[in-house]
Amino acid sequence: MEDAVSQPPPGVGKVIARMHGSTIGQKALMAVSGLLLVGFVFGHMLGHLQMFGPNAREHYNAYAHFLQSLGELLWVMRLTLLAAVILHIVSAVQVTLRNKAARPIQYANVKWIKATFASRAMRQTGVILLLFILWHLLRFTIMSAAATGFTGPEVPLKPGSTELVPDVYGRMVFAFNNRPGITLTYVGCVGLLGVHLSHGIQSALQTLGVLNAAYRPLLKKVGPALGGLVFVGFASVPLAILAGFIK
Amino acid sequence: MNLTLKIWRQKDKATPGQFETIEAKDISPDMSFLEMLDVVSEEAQKKGFEPTAFDHDCREGICGMCSLVINGVPHGPEAATTTCQLHMRKFKDGDNIVIEPWRAAAFPVLRDLVVDRSAFDHIQQKGGFVSINTGGTPDGNAIPIAKQEADLAMDAASCIGCGACVAACKNASAMLFVAAKVSQYAHLPQGQAERSRRVLAMVEQHDAEGFGSCTNFGECEAVCPKEISVRVIAEMNRDYLRATLVGTNS
Repeated sequence: MEDAVSQPPPGVGKVIARMHGSTIGQKALMAVSGLLLVGFVFGHMLGHLQMFGPNAREHYNAYAHFLQSLGELLWVMRLTLLAAVILHIVSAVQVTLRNKAARPIQYANVKWIKATFASRAMRQTGVILLLFILWHLLRFTIMSAAATGFTGPEVPLKPGSTELVPDVYGRMVFAFNNRPGITLTYVGCVGLLGVHLSHGIQSALQTLGVLNAAYRPLLKKVGPALGGLVFVGFASVPLAILAGFIK
Repeated sequence: MNLTLKIWRQKDKATPGQFETIEAKDISPDMSFLEMLDVVSEEAQKKGFEPTAFDHDCREGICGMCSLVINGVPHGPEAATTTCQLHMRKFKDGDNIVIEPWRAAAFPVLRDLVVDRSAFDHIQQKGGFVSINTGGTPDGNAIPIAKQEADLAMDAASCIGCGACVAACKNASAMLFVAAKVSQYAHLPQGQAERSRRVLAMVEQHDAEGFGSCTNFGECEAVCPKEISVRVIAEMNRDYLRATLVGTNS
C-alpha cells in the first residue's frame, strides 16, 4: 500500500462501479433511495391529515388542486419517485442475491438474540408494500373514477368562488365510507409500512454512517418512533371515515 | 452431568457432512466447553472411533482460534465469552446440545467443526496495518491522542478475528471484523495517511472473498466475544463512501 495523504477524486466510472458493485455501495444506494421515499411518505401523510379539521373539504380540495396545477414539476416529482422505487428494488435484489450466496449451507439451529421482527421481515414487507402501492395508484391516481366508482360533481375551490375543482375530498370519503374490507386492508398495509420503516430508517442512517457513537441510542428509537407515526397518521384518515367522523 | 451432543461431522472440504449424535457422560460442570469435547474425543479414541476435530489454541479467550455455533449461537449462550471460556455449568444435566461449524461460503469447512478462516488474513493483508515509520516505543507517547479517541481505537482493536460476527450474521457478512480493523486506525493519527486506501482495499477484498452485506440486524455485536459495537460499521461506511465519492482523507 502506497502512502497517500490525499487522493484525487475517483473517476466517474470508478464511483459507479463502487456504488453499484460493492456491498457498502449497494446498501448506500438502497439507503438513499429509501430515505427519499420516506421524505415522500411524510409529505403524503401531512397532505392527507388535511382531511381533519374545520373547512377540511376546501383545504383538501385546494391542496389537490395545487398539486395538479404544478404541471411539469409534478412529473419531475413523479419520475424522481419512480427512479427511487426502481433503485430501491434493484439494490434490494442485488443485496439479497449476494447475501443468499454468502451462506449456501444454513444452520440446523438458529437463535436470534437481538434482531427485531421488523429487520427480519424487510423483504416480505417490501414485496407486500410494492403490491399495495400499485393497487393504491390504480385506485386513486391512474383510474380513480372507475376504480372507486365516485361520480360526485365538481365543487367550488373556495366558498363563493366560481372556479370549480374535482371534489377529491368527497372521493376520499366515498372510497372508504361503508367499506370496512378496503379500509382494514389499507390500515393493515400502512401498518406494514410502519414496520418496514421502523427498521428501514435506522438501518439507512447506520448504512450511510451519518451518526456517530453519541447518537446511536437515539438512532435506535428514531426508526420505531417515525414508523409508528407513519402508521398512526395514515391509518387515522380511513378509520375516521369508516367511523363516520369524517363525512 | 450427562449430555446428548449433536455434532457436525465432515470428512473433508469436498465430502458432504452430517450430524452425529454422541453421548457425553460424567461431565464435570467445572469443565470448559472445549475440555468437555476433549473428554468426548478421548472416549471416542479409546473405542477406536475418529475424534471430532475443532479449532482451539490459547484457551484463555484472547487468541480467536476457537469457534463453534452452540445451540444456534456462535460461542454459545454466554455473552461476551469465547467457547473456550464457556463452562459446562451454563448447561443442565440431560441437555441436548447442537454443535455446528461457522457457516459461510467464505469459510469452507475443512473437517468436522474446523473452518478455513484465511479469508480474514487476505482482508488484513490488504490494509490492516500502517506502513509509515512510527518510531520506537517511547515515540508512541510523543503524539498526544485524546483519551476518548484512544478508547474508541482500543475498543475496535480488541477484535480477535474469531469470525463469530460472520457466523451470527444471516448474510455471512464480515462487516464487523473489517470495520473493527478500519476503525482502530481511523481514530489514531498514525492511521490517517492510508485511511482512504485502507477502507477501499479492505472492503474490496471482503466482497471478493464472498462475504455478504450488512443489513443491520445487530446479531454480530450480540455474539462478539469482545463486545465490539456496530458503531464501527457506521464509521467504516462513512469512510468508504467519503473515499468513493470525494477521494480525500480530510
